[in-house]
Amino acid sequence: MSDNQASSTPVEPSSVESSNEQTTHFGFKQVEKEQKASLVANVFDSVAAKYDVMNDLMSMGVHRLWKRFTIDCSGVRAGNKVLDIAGGTGDLTAKFSRLVGPTGRVTLADINLSMLQVGRDKLRDRGLVGNIDYVQADAEALPFPDNHFDVVTMAFGLRNVTEKQNALNSIFRVLKPGGRLLVLEFSKPTSEQLSKLYDMYSFHLLPKMGQLVANDAESYQYLAESIRMHPDQETLKGMFEEAGFEQCDYQNLTGGIVALHRGYKF
Amino acid sequence: MPASALFAATLEQSINKVLALDSESESRLAELNGSRLIAFLSPMPFGITLVFSDRVDVLIEHDDFESVKAQLGPKDCCIKTSLDTLPELRETSQLTRLIQQKALYLEGELGVAQQVSGVFQNLDIDVEELLAVRTSDVFAHQSVESIKALHQKVMSMLTDARSVVGNAMVEEKKIAAHKLAVMHFSDEVSALRDSTERLDARLRDLEERFK
Ligand SMILES: C[S@@+](CC[C@H](N)C(=O)[O-])C[C@H]1O[C@@H](n2cnc3c(N)ncnc32)[C@H](O)[C@@H]1O
Repeated sequence: MSDNQASSTPVEPSSVESSNEQTTHFGFKQVEKEQKASLVANVFDSVAAKYDVMNDLMSMGVHRLWKRFTIDCSGVRAGNKVLDIAGGTGDLTAKFSRLVGPTGRVTLADINLSMLQVGRDKLRDRGLVGNIDYVQADAEALPFPDNHFDVVTMAFGLRNVTEKQNALNSIFRVLKPGGRLLVLEFSKPTSEQLSKLYDMYSFHLLPKMGQLVANDAESYQYLAESIRMHPDQETLKGMFEEAGFEQCDYQNLTGGIVALHRGYKF
Repeated sequence: MPASALFAATLEQSINKVLALDSESESRLAELNGSRLIAFLSPMPFGITLVFSDRVDVLIEHDDFESVKAQLGPKDCCIKTSLDTLPELRETSQLTRLIQQKALYLEGELGVAQQVSGVFQNLDIDVEELLAVRTSDVFAHQSVESIKALHQKVMSMLTDARSVVGNAMVEEKKIAAHKLAVMHFSDEVSALRDSTERLDARLRDLEERFK
């Protein structure tokens, strides 16, 4: 029994990852850098249809509060231009669309067409039309002009990006001076106890739920692993600063299971 | 996890559910489309923003009154007072004193606060009856009571907001005097038009009789 537990305790191969510049992590696996985007694409192609249901189920609805907090911190105003990058099925976009009103504009951008399509259908069904643009785009090379957006948000997207620093640099470029970036992402629980509980949940329960509801244990195994491989709060804050963001800070949510990072471009 | 987000989510759901019970709400909300009402009610540690579109979004305002005041848009109204002071706002005679004592601050487009209070005050629903149709047990009764309590609370807050605006129109001419004067004038014009139409109808009636 104890052997069993030991063997199922996840150990992230971080040292291996940093030793080879041609490879990167895809969950706990090492893959060629060029491969990662298409592997991530497969994951989200596979989960797109059931994404919203699974989100509610996995987080017990709490992801809605995390997102709400993100919007509260966005300082978005009527008439603003907002980019929701890796916006997927558009939860943040939906709210931003009402907040910026008819004089503002929201761009829902995602690398994955399946996720964008689910998002577009959902928002249209809710009557949200008129101030939303849907753009297929890679966060690492955003196809928008310099100094264009007042606010950029990225919720649960950054950990899937191959070169995270490139994505932050690219976002910095498209933000207007005075604009802000908010990154909502899984992070490192602040207490040891919570961390253990969370590991049990994400490595044991989550893939089973994925199997049961979405018939896709593998994608949810990737989710758990990718969370583990994502930089912790302080590291990500350093990456924000490296991209040029100022007044960077972060707020731990639900004991650090998730963190909201914020930075300004001046 | 921030409790404020849960609070905002609950408030937002309640407000929209209540509004959805009256079919007239849609047209009343349309008039407010794009407006915001921001309320700082101490000792609540944060402000609450109501954003109007085809529904009401509730945001938690983490900035303070001064920075919000500096960023008000043309369709925004901001109120700052304390929960303790709210009951006093009903007294017209107290308003000037409260403003002078800095116990009450009003900024921005006051008409927004007036319209918001109109949206809630004109609600034409029987919440209890509506819910009683769907539920019949004790739990349902309790739910009805708590929804009514919440509804009343929202109504009373907005009544206060309305009386603040109404009274400010009468008493505090210095506050946005131009806008208030225009609003007051248009109210008077409507009233005058109504009386003229009534008089006109009576004259026509008399003419008919003496023909
Ligand atoms: C977990 S979903 C999050 C969706 C949404 N933001 C939310 O919070 O519900 C992650 C999204 O990131 C997108 N994504 C992954 N890599 C990306 C990249 N390089 N550029 C843009 N989007 C990417 C995926 O397609 C997916 O839709």
